[in-house]
Amino acid sequence: MSTSPSLAEDQSVREPESRTPARARRWNGALREPVRIALLLSPALLVVVVLYGGGVALAFSQSLGYLPFIGQREVSLGAYQRLIGDQAFQASLWLTLRLAITSTVVSAVLAIAGGMLIRGTRRGQRLSTFLFQFNLPMPHLVGAAAMLLLLSQSGLVSRLAFSLGIVDSASAFPALNNDRLGVAIMAEYIWKEVPFIGVVVLAALRGEVQPYEEAAQVLGATAWQRFRYVILPLLMPGVLSTCIIVFAFTFGSFEVPYLLGQPFPAVLPVLAYRQYTDVDLASRAEAMAISFVVALLVSVMVLVYLRLSSKQRRER
Amino acid sequence: MSTELVLDGLSLTYPGASQPAVADLDIGVTPGSMVALLGPSGCGKTTTMKMIAGLLTPTSGDVRFDGESMVGVRPERRPVAMVFQKSLLFPHMTVRENVGFGLKVRKVPNSEIRMRVEEFLELVRLPGMADRRVGELSGGQEQRISLARALIVSPKILLLDEPLSALDANLRIEMRDLIRSVQEELDLTAVFVTHDQEEAVVLADRIALILDGRLQQYAEAADFYQRPASVRVARFFGTDNLVEGRFVRGCFESALGTFEVEGVAPDGPSVLAVRQEAVGLGPGPNQIDGTVDRTLYVGTHLRVWLRAGGTQLQCTVDPTAGVRTGEPLTVHIPPQHCWALPVEETS
Repeated sequence: MSTSPSLAEDQSVREPESRTPARARRWNGALREPVRIALLLSPALLVVVVLYGGGVALAFSQSLGYLPFIGQREVSLGAYQRLIGDQAFQASLWLTLRLAITSTVVSAVLAIAGGMLIRGTRRGQRLSTFLFQFNLPMPHLVGAAAMLLLLSQSGLVSRLAFSLGIVDSASAFPALNNDRLGVAIMAEYIWKEVPFIGVVVLAALRGEVQPYEEAAQVLGATAWQRFRYVILPLLMPGVLSTCIIVFAFTFGSFEVPYLLGQPFPAVLPVLAYRQYTDVDLASRAEAMAISFVVALLVSVMVLVYLRLSSKQRRER
Repeated sequence: MSTELVLDGLSLTYPGASQPAVADLDIGVTPGSMVALLGPSGCGKTTTMKMIAGLLTPTSGDVRFDGESMVGVRPERRPVAMVFQKSLLFPHMTVRENVGFGLKVRKVPNSEIRMRVEEFLELVRLPGMADRRVGELSGGQEQRISLARALIVSPKILLLDEPLSALDANLRIEMRDLIRSVQEELDLTAVFVTHDQEEAVVLADRIALILDGRLQQYAEAADFYQRPASVRVARFFGTDNLVEGRFVRGCFESALGTFEVEGVAPDGPSVLAVRQEAVGLGPGPNQIDGTVDRTLYVGTHLRVWLRAGGTQLQCTVDPTAGVRTGEPLTVHIPPQHCWALPVEETS
């Protein structure tokens, strides 16, 4: 069988390509695009890798006791071992966990309740949404200052309670700042995180959840049944992802507990700061070990978040 | 025993809107029949459906099931079930949980729910799918499960809101046949929303054509082709030959000639509606002699544009009839296919 002219032409066109060295072919094929993308991303990656990665590496080396500025070059897990046995660290860890978990759970519950209430209002929905979320762009420091002014024993709430005759004197008002339970810290976190979770809740309630709710309603589900069997399960993936972000933030937050928390036990970031600023420079190993524990736990949370997100995407 | 549905002067104006989404809708659906609400997107079909389901409250008018007013009755208390455009199966539940949902919220015992779910999965020809997750279903399967979920609660009225629009052509036909057979088997009163003319004609006993929120015609499918109520209706159903002229003493006079017609319009300006497939080749009553302007072969037939009396008439002929562009052609229109309509501002 003779080769058709068109095929012969085709081969003649392809011939030079087949002579191209294998390395060049790989470059043109599989490698070129990833390298191009990496090069384009390199300015941003450089900042992240050098500043963040460098910082983490430095902290980790110091947590292992590598402190050349005081002549200590031996590497060990001593700081971590000391932390495990340190009651102050354990108290701080439990306090940090308790504050983060409580604030996250209460914020999520309030965000869902608030979202449902706003969604149910027929009039003034814009105003109620504004009131629900107006503090979203405010910094946590503003919230912390507000809690000081509101909840301290000389604050607005205690004076109001005194003028209403609820307490005998302003100082008889229970200490809600710098207290054992961390009421003001939780109040600030909740004040700030409810609207954050609320963004996700309201978007879902007004968007993808609504038709499912209508379907359930036409099938005979009452308001409570719709909430329990349809709305809540549909909200949960988004709320859970947001809660992980909130938990990671509150767990690693420094400024709010520093301003509103009690001296002992302090939350982990505050404890780390105190160790870091201790006159004994050797304490920096513990400070970095604490920071590393915080970073590790937050990283675990982020990993959980990423896994949940990808699971959600797969399911849909 | 199936239920009669009556929409009596049903209207709804959305807050802030200047025009009503639905205005003065009067439709009576006889027990056990299927009615299609037909119209283009945004004409008010789904709004009407949602008012029947109770998801929207009418501004005025009434929705009655067997003579009983449903206005003010919450959706969950109405004896209706609805299949939506998207299947809206709850993604966090299995097929069994989805189908049994309506029974669960009615607090039916689990053993009975299990039994009935199997029964209804068989009805929609998907036995053995109960333990599948929603994400594992195809689009067609999702809609069948959605149908089973609606039917299991034994609704008096079944509402179907474009349930086929998201399916591909073959699945549409399959699902269409399934819906019709199930509706007949269960003797259900059903209302079907669609923008697809063919779907409405094939599925429904009667069609309500809605344009701009107003009912244009409510009749059996054949009437929309043979006796359209207006020029708009004729156009919507694909009547291409709308010849302007005058109706004088029982005859239609136009540039094409004088025609004996079936429809009766008042003397004065009028429009003659003739479907292209009603035009016959050769001499006969209402004869027209003209010249072939253009032809288009469309497989099953040849579409012909005939020029006569300064106007154009479309007809379809057998591709083997030897009709050619530029040649003279004689056609006729049987009087029973000539339908005179009043002139509309929009015509």
